[in-house]
Amino acid sequence: MNLPVEAVLRPRDLGEALSMLAEDPSAVPVAGGTDLVVQLRARRRHAPVLVDIGALGLDRIAVEGNALVIGAAATMDSIARSAAVREHAPALATAAGQVGAWPIQCRATLGGNLANASPAADTAPPLLTAGATVTAAFPSGQRRIPVLDLFEGPGTTRLAPGELITSVSIPLDPVPAGARRVDRFVKLGPRREQIISVVSLAVRAALLADGTLADVRIAVGAAAPTPVRAPAAESVLEGRPPGGAARREAARALQEDIAPIDDIRAPARYRRLAAAVLLDRLLGEISHG
Amino acid sequence: MAEPLGGRHPRPDAVMKVAGSARYVGDLALPGMLHAAIVAAPGAPARVVSLDLEPARAVPGVEAVLAAGDVPGANLVGTIFPDQPLLVEDRVRMVGDRLALVAARTPEAAWTAAAAVEPELEPLPGVHDPVEALEPGAPVVHESGNLVRTFRVRRNAGGDGAASAPVVVEAEYRIGGQEHAYLEPQGCLAIPESRSRITIVASCQCPFYVQHAVARVLGLPLASVRVRQAHTGGGFGGKEDYPSEVAACAAVLAFATGRPVRLIYSREYDLQATTKRHAMVVRHRWGADTDGRLLFAEVESFLDAGAYVGLSTVVAERANVSAIGPYHVPSVKVDTHVVHTNNLFGGAYRGFGAPQVTWAHEATMDRLARAVGVDPVEIRRRNLLTGESCTTCTGQELPSPVLAGACLDRATELAAAWTGSATVAPSPHLRRGTGVALVLYGCNLHHGGQFLDRSSAVVILQPDASAIVRVGLTEMGQGNLASAQTVAAQALGLDPSRVEVWEPDTATVADSGPTVASRGAHSTGLAILDAVRRLRRRLDPVAAGLLGCAPGEVELADGVARVAGDPSRAVPLERVLGEMTARRIETIATGWWRSRPRWFDEATGLGSPYETYAFACHVAQVAVDPELGLVRVEHVAAAHDVGRILHRDAIEGQIQGGIVQAMGWGLLERLELDRGRLLNPSFTDYLIPTASDTPEISMALLEDAPGAGPFGAKGIGEPSFIPTAAAIRNAVCDALGIEIDRLPFTPPVIVDALGTAHPFADLLD
Ligand SMILES: Cc1cc2nc3c(=O)[nH]c(=O)nc-3n(C[C@H](O)[C@H](O)[C@H](O)COP(=O)(O)OP(=O)(O)OC[C@H]3O[C@@H](n4cnc5c(N)ncnc54)[C@H](O)[C@@H]3O)c2cc1C
Repeated sequence: MNLPVEAVLRPRDLGEALSMLAEDPSAVPVAGGTDLVVQLRARRRHAPVLVDIGALGLDRIAVEGNALVIGAAATMDSIARSAAVREHAPALATAAGQVGAWPIQCRATLGGNLANASPAADTAPPLLTAGATVTAAFPSGQRRIPVLDLFEGPGTTRLAPGELITSVSIPLDPVPAGARRVDRFVKLGPRREQIISVVSLAVRAALLADGTLADVRIAVGAAAPTPVRAPAAESVLEGRPPGGAARREAARALQEDIAPIDDIRAPARYRRLAAAVLLDRLLGEISHG
Repeated sequence: MAEPLGGRHPRPDAVMKVAGSARYVGDLALPGMLHAAIVAAPGAPARVVSLDLEPARAVPGVEAVLAAGDVPGANLVGTIFPDQPLLVEDRVRMVGDRLALVAARTPEAAWTAAAAVEPELEPLPGVHDPVEALEPGAPVVHESGNLVRTFRVRRNAGGDGAASAPVVVEAEYRIGGQEHAYLEPQGCLAIPESRSRITIVASCQCPFYVQHAVARVLGLPLASVRVRQAHTGGGFGGKEDYPSEVAACAAVLAFATGRPVRLIYSREYDLQATTKRHAMVVRHRWGADTDGRLLFAEVESFLDAGAYVGLSTVVAERANVSAIGPYHVPSVKVDTHVVHTNNLFGGAYRGFGAPQVTWAHEATMDRLARAVGVDPVEIRRRNLLTGESCTTCTGQELPSPVLAGACLDRATELAAAWTGSATVAPSPHLRRGTGVALVLYGCNLHHGGQFLDRSSAVVILQPDASAIVRVGLTEMGQGNLASAQTVAAQALGLDPSRVEVWEPDTATVADSGPTVASRGAHSTGLAILDAVRRLRRRLDPVAAGLLGCAPGEVELADGVARVAGDPSRAVPLERVLGEMTARRIETIATGWWRSRPRWFDEATGLGSPYETYAFACHVAQVAVDPELGLVRVEHVAAAHDVGRILHRDAIEGQIQGGIVQAMGWGLLERLELDRGRLLNPSFTDYLIPTASDTPEISMALLEDAPGAGPFGAKGIGEPSFIPTAAAIRNAVCDALGIEIDRLPFTPPVIVDALGTAHPFADLLD
């Protein structure tokens, strides 16, 4: 393959990986390679040295205390099939099961999807609505970054050079008694599989016993320079039932939350209309149970 | 033993291709082999101000860097018109035009060297729309002007109908092009032997075209150029003429270096530079009486040929005579213009101009149905060619039986019998629609190309009663090996597994023309039958001697020679061959086929462009989500007039593949251009259907009207593609109750077509 790569380093543990990255500023981490290899081949990125972080044991998925913790190297396939993810973060399981098609899902990792920082990254909207944080490690320690603060722009994150995402944690915030958690993801594209989202949408909220929504969180992918939360639409829906007049008002408010552009995949007008339709339909489904 | 004919015996190439043991050009390597790369023009049109090749020569591993002046023979490619240089001399006409060639010891060195050249180009004004290209003052692509040629049909044109038709519909259709998306990109290997002869191993449809092209650029006699077809990972027309260019590059480098040279295109360059289905603008003015019976049809089409003629004139020839479809129309006026632009290179693609005009005539038939107030199926029934009125567009009388009506009946029955989708959940957001489309397909090459409509075969019977068959037409996935094997096995009375058909090699058979126009099974099969006929002139008397019967009574079946009508009197074929060997009787024979001469008048477009025709009807059933612009094709019913089934899996595979490929063209595939530069040169953004988009397919194969091919077969490769996109278009328009006249129907196109009717349109004001 036409890859301008001189060396692939295979560290045995996280510490070694971090020091390899620290020692050589031209070294770049690689997990599944499903983004990086494409970019290297197209000469959109330059990385003479790759550090393989696929075998550092960063692929665990488990409930730890009050959080669901997913290792950065967990694959989309393992996330989509995980009982814990399906229970606590069903929208994320849905999203992972719609990344590319199954062969890609068996290589693509959660850490790679986030670090690549595509506005269309499918796991981003459900992580934004779940209030997830990433744990990032560097040679002298580690820190936690809310997913909301991770993305800077298309293809750029706030990770420092040589910093590695080790895991993503999703708080297991309980819903009030009698309420039901709704957590959904939907992705739109012109074909059924192997498609980069033209628009994606996640909604997470508590549906209270009185039929109103609480703690509403909405996130949209591929409709702004980064995946974004939709505060205007969220506040329209807070405390109201998902059906009725709130549906249309929320779809209208959503237009303030997003800033799509015309590009090769779709015109901005289409993305705006589609985001409205997706939100409207999700709310309709929620209100019908 | 079951008869081979019409069977499902394993395709001879299936296992090696599925298991990965078939070796494609990219798997071939020779000692000392060099790798080629092309220095391509990044923008067009432009004048070459200077071309400094030193940076390429300086890259380590580079063995040769060649420019136009280094071509030993003619610096010319182009199958029909001498308008395209192998290497640009001073004028760049399309993005991707070749400026220089590099050969290096590794592919990486070759690519690095090619990228190191920074040509100095002075941009010139370009033209990017085929209609605008004909306006006065438009920038000219070639000094000869932008209009390459206009083809016409005039049959009672301007007759009474045109003036007095009570119902007239008019439309302008804007139809996009299409990329072939073959799995294997363009590639070939050139192996020089001294400077006097060369072997080319090429991924190609037309080895004889490659042979001519290489001989021309090297200045060699044809006999000194041998072309072997490599296993070819898909063609669809994209490997008709284009591989000649690839081979010419590799051959010139191989002669310059004296070493084998392999050239394999990157997907990006392949998408940008190679031929595409023509984008077309088609204008219609059609009239009918108040019952919807057609009175006249006027069609004016513009084919966007791109910067070079390539095969565009031949594509236009088929588009021209296919313009009104399988309908009886008393007065016909067709103009088909071939126009130069600086866009992508228009060329051959499954259907060869017919899918575009079919999309248009089937849209117009639905418009007419709505204008008159009858059902789309009924309006077709009233106008289809039948046994009584069977004059085609060009005035050709078709012999009975004419299966247009039968195809319509069978396809609509299959559609009615379909019980609903297993894959699309019911949803209040979906609207269902049904659309129908028919095609009249002229089998084999048009009159204008009939000199190429010929084919050669060699059959060599082995002492163990197996047979080697050499053919001149290629296998590119469509099943030509399977049909050739079936025909030979049937004619020789052998099990298909005893017949080995080898891919073409120009050193073993006579020039058999191109593998195009759905003519593979037809022309290969008839040449094989001719070879078998000649063999049997020698074999039958020997068998008759052993059987004690007259030579005329000998029959070959089940691996034996036997007395016709008395199968108990039989000898194994192996014994007959042993006897022939002992008596030193030749067990090899060549066969030849050529199409029948026909009359056709180019000026009026009247006559018999094709020897025989095949009809087909597709009915598409779709679920449309109008608010999101999504179309899901749920079911396609396909009825085909196939003449005779040779190999059942091959024919069904062609129909399934044709439908899915046409669905991609109709719904998804978009060649997005900025001044001739492709903005989506990858399969991330040039979307083709995946397996999960495939509709359910029902088929009816009608064998009631034998064609001129082996055992009565007719071509299926193109008729399987041509009607689908039109049927889908009509189904979507049926679901939405609006007309959409541009292809493809991507989600934004559908949403835009709804305009302010979209439930959220007001949010954007
Ligand atoms: C055919 C195809 C289809 C696809 N479809 C989709 C789709 O539908 N939806 C979607 O969202 N994406 C899609 N993608 C993109 C890609 O598969 C995903 O983004 C995937 O999750 C990337 O993970 P990876 O492990 O392959 O990342 P890699 O390619 O290995 O890495 C991606 C980037 O992240 C960095 N990186 C990786 N891991 C870490 C870490 N732990 N810490 C810090 N940096 C890290 C790398 O240095 C690199 O810059 C598709 C890709 C392909 C090839």
